[in-house]
Amino acid sequence: MRKLFLILGWMTLGWIGGQAAESPAGEQSLSVQEIVDRSNLAAYYEGKDGRSHVNMTITDSQGRTRERRFIILRRDDKDGGEQKFYVNFSRPSDVRNTVFMVWKHIGKNDDRWLYLPALDLVKRIAASDKRTSFVGSHFFYEDVSGRNPADDTHELTETTAQYYVLKNTPKNPDEVEFAYYMLWIDKTHFLPIKAEYYDNNKNKYRMVEALEVKTIQGHPTVTQARVTDLKSGGHTVSVFSKIQYDLEIPESIFTERYLRRAPRRWLK
Amino acid sequence: MTNSGSSKSSIVNFSINHPWTIVVAVLVLTLGLGLQIPNIQIDTDPENMLSEQEFVRVFHNQVKKEFVLYDMIVLGVVNEEHAEGVFNPDTLEKVFHLTRYIETLEGVIEFDLLAPSKVDDIQQAGLGSVRFEWLMPSPPKNRQEALRIRDRARENPMLYGTLLSEDGKALCLYIPIRSKTLSYRIASQIQDNLSDLEGPERYYITGLPVAEDTFGIEMFRQMAISAPLAGLIIFILMWVFFRSFLLVVSAMVVAGVTVICTMGLLISMGYTVHIMSSMIPIFLMPIAVVDSIHILSEFFDRYQVYKNRRETIVHVMRELFRPMLYTSLTSAAGFASLALTPNPPVKVFGAFVTVGILFAWLLTILFIPAFIMLLKESSLKSFGLNPASSNKPSILERLLKPMAGWTYKRYRGIAGWSVLALVISAIGISLIVINDNPVKWFEKKHPIRIADKVLNAHFGGTYMAYLVLEEVRDAKGFLQSVNAIQKELALRIDDLQEDIPQLLNIKSEALKQVRVFADQHKSSENFSVVDLLQALENRATQQTQTAGTDAEAWDEVSLFFNEQKVNYQPFKNPETLQTLEHLEEALMSSGAVGKVNSVVDVIKKVHYELMEGNREYNIIPKTSAAVAQTLLSYQNSHDPDDLWHLVTPDYQKANLWIQLKSGDNKDMEPVLNTVTEFFKNNNDGRPLLAQWAGLTYLNVVWQDKMVHGMLKSLLGSFVMVFLMAALLFRSPLWGILCMVPLTVTITLIYGLIGFIGKDYDMPVAVLSAMTLGLSVDFAIHFLQRSRSVYPRAGCNWLKTSETMYGEPARAISRNILVIAVGFTPLLISPLVPYQTVGFLLASIMVVSGIATLLILPALIRMTEPWLFKKTE
Repeated sequence: MRKLFLILGWMTLGWIGGQAAESPAGEQSLSVQEIVDRSNLAAYYEGKDGRSHVNMTITDSQGRTRERRFIILRRDDKDGGEQKFYVNFSRPSDVRNTVFMVWKHIGKNDDRWLYLPALDLVKRIAASDKRTSFVGSHFFYEDVSGRNPADDTHELTETTAQYYVLKNTPKNPDEVEFAYYMLWIDKTHFLPIKAEYYDNNKNKYRMVEALEVKTIQGHPTVTQARVTDLKSGGHTVSVFSKIQYDLEIPESIFTERYLRRAPRRWLK
Repeated sequence: MTNSGSSKSSIVNFSINHPWTIVVAVLVLTLGLGLQIPNIQIDTDPENMLSEQEFVRVFHNQVKKEFVLYDMIVLGVVNEEHAEGVFNPDTLEKVFHLTRYIETLEGVIEFDLLAPSKVDDIQQAGLGSVRFEWLMPSPPKNRQEALRIRDRARENPMLYGTLLSEDGKALCLYIPIRSKTLSYRIASQIQDNLSDLEGPERYYITGLPVAEDTFGIEMFRQMAISAPLAGLIIFILMWVFFRSFLLVVSAMVVAGVTVICTMGLLISMGYTVHIMSSMIPIFLMPIAVVDSIHILSEFFDRYQVYKNRRETIVHVMRELFRPMLYTSLTSAAGFASLALTPNPPVKVFGAFVTVGILFAWLLTILFIPAFIMLLKESSLKSFGLNPASSNKPSILERLLKPMAGWTYKRYRGIAGWSVLALVISAIGISLIVINDNPVKWFEKKHPIRIADKVLNAHFGGTYMAYLVLEEVRDAKGFLQSVNAIQKELALRIDDLQEDIPQLLNIKSEALKQVRVFADQHKSSENFSVVDLLQALENRATQQTQTAGTDAEAWDEVSLFFNEQKVNYQPFKNPETLQTLEHLEEALMSSGAVGKVNSVVDVIKKVHYELMEGNREYNIIPKTSAAVAQTLLSYQNSHDPDDLWHLVTPDYQKANLWIQLKSGDNKDMEPVLNTVTEFFKNNNDGRPLLAQWAGLTYLNVVWQDKMVHGMLKSLLGSFVMVFLMAALLFRSPLWGILCMVPLTVTITLIYGLIGFIGKDYDMPVAVLSAMTLGLSVDFAIHFLQRSRSVYPRAGCNWLKTSETMYGEPARAISRNILVIAVGFTPLLISPLVPYQTVGFLLASIMVVSGIATLLILPALIRMTEPWLFKKTE
């Protein structure tokens, strides 16, 4: 009986959500697609390019911590389109100058490279699966570079005073480990504030949260984020600092040539 | 003497005069303690054979936590019919869905499940590319895809021999579970699901957790069948002997009440009923019945002489009080010595069997007379041996009677044969193999035994052991490192001061911090340099937040500590890793080891795949930075945390996951020796400390402790029983005589065990206490009664022995038969320890009976002048 109620509840919410999204009246009423698009831009495309220092602390279920420090450079081709990322590690010191580079494509697999200085080795990583760990943390590659909104169907399930709540269901469920995820998008700046991932048994097993948002050069920016693995009990916190937008980072930095030779000028 | 005589008769008189008081008291006590039994707390974990504070157990649990290891159920899938074994789309699809089902089971650690669809594969993906992907993201659609999965898994040393068998006929799923005590339930749930599957595949479930948990559960099931069945058979046999339902009931009441009260007491005192203590009823029942049979036997033979229950019972008790007291005290002493063993459940077992024996004695001398007094004289009318009809003697009588003369005449022969038997048995004892394996507690046709056999033939092994390595740390090495670090830091600051002049501002503070932190770590006896450097790095990083203009300088210092840390992490160091690699090779050639997984295997595999799959690179990289970067690459997979089963995140400890094909102690021990030997011969480089954990190892430890504890306890109780016998008979010579049958019995029984090649395991060890208790019983009865008959028989041994082969010998023979036959139901149990107990109990009874009835008369004949010198 209770289950039936829940289902009815979901349907009603979905219906109201649908109404709101379709209704053109009122400036707050946006279509689901508009919310998704604006959120995607707010989260991954602020400015033409950007740089941030990142301090990642990985904590396991026993409270043991490990650190990763890196600088991340980003350059957009155009808003909502292709992007390039360059990640240069500084700590642990034995992985210093290890580089991870991504050319993010829309509608086809990303190109990914890894440079391992101690082996003097540039490796392309065949990126069929983006939901693997980012350097041993609880973040996935997809959390770093952004999931293509077109990979999911979106449904506005709730609109609260502060958030749009979206239910996102993968179009290709075989390619991902989740059945669906819920996304809380802040109504004011459209940054996704929380994502909750559910498995096939409708158990929540993973959470991504923005812990702190600051406005930098006029761009609302997540400066602290946390991923929690509810199954293993571990979590990773990323703290972003020295964030700068619109540095005019040249496109040539994002090439194989600069994997071996770190572009010092841009890594400050 | 007079004292005990008067107290003895007053006890017996009380029970004869107040039979109802006794009966009501027994009833109340039984009800009171019996009502505690529903509060039973069952504990089937053999791990508890060791105290919780025992180092190996504490260490085992610490290792499990530190390396996130769980007890595992092993599920094997074998397809012998398909040409490509299990690697065909059909079987793999079943495995895929089976895995999905297992994931959902409560208590399964889903994220650590080892199955084709749950493991990652690292492989070449065209020129200069590597790919991390699930080995089997979805069931293969065709033959090619299925074979590709096989080939990929074969290429992966972490999976080969663990996940799939060499011949490709079999797959193994390793199912980690939250607690060992869930394994029976989870295994049953999996079994239920398997029974719905059709096809040529065979499924096997095994692993120590399942074996241990299943054994515990089946053991209690057996208790509920075997103990009552044994009771029933004892009852029937006694009825055959004594032909009086009511009297036989009285003996059964004594046994039943003893068992109920002892178990009730144990439970009410808050003890858990462990595998050991679940055997208490099986042990107490024969012992409790023995005294009753003596009384009933004597009563049976005498009643028709007196034709009056009061007079008969007074006579019987006069005759038997002392031997019963002696035998109960000595048997109790035998079991009490178990309280000195190092295994808590054995202690509890010994203590409560002791209590039970003494309680059974008290109950026998109080309850049986009271019960007989409550019977109507008329109901006993036809009871007992009628001397008038003695022209028709029973088989037992006909058999025993001639022995008096025979033992008198052939005493030399008897002694000679006994010595020969002892010598041969000694040879047998020297052949005894001390060995145990909980999986072998099931008989050969039990599904767990079959699974054990099949899967260990296909795979690296279903028995897990863990070998944890870390650097030996001490204060001296710590201080040397601290000095070196300080020196390095000063040098670094001097080097960089031109670029970062603020370093000079903080130099003295930074150096001071090293000393202060080092002192703190030293005083808390933490000699880990890595921990110190981590603390220093954290502190320096904190200071970057607050130091204002000196932030950059502190950042440099924090980086310095970070860099230094790498130098002190043994399991990023190629040399130490090489030692690990060699250790692995040594382990692989040590016999029972079928597979070793370590961080070295991960490093080599990833290094090899990074280097375009060139075999030359299937090695540990040359520098620790290369090792670190190889491992960083590995962590870009779906399960980066898999690494932490093999090494701690600070790289201070490594864990070798060792799969063994056998869980026998005798097979594990050479493996332990291999490691000891290895470190004896490889002590150059940084000294490593190697410590064992894992259930297979834990079993070795507790079984070793138990076997040696039992041996000590046996020797202890041997001495104790001798002292008591000498004291009770007030003669060392009688004491020695008393020890003869049990010495012969124990020697013969263990000699037999040696010859038939039965392993000296837990039940065999426990039964030594039983042997002692029961054999001494017969000897004391025989000797004590010989002593009291001797003067009446005109101080002539031949005459005495004629009497002795009457009622006393019959009582002993009846006892032998009742107990030996009474425990035959144990032989049909599917649990080997039960079969062992059943078989050994029968053997013990027969051998110790024969030893008592043959050897003692012969020896008395030889030593008659010395034995009876002082008496009369």
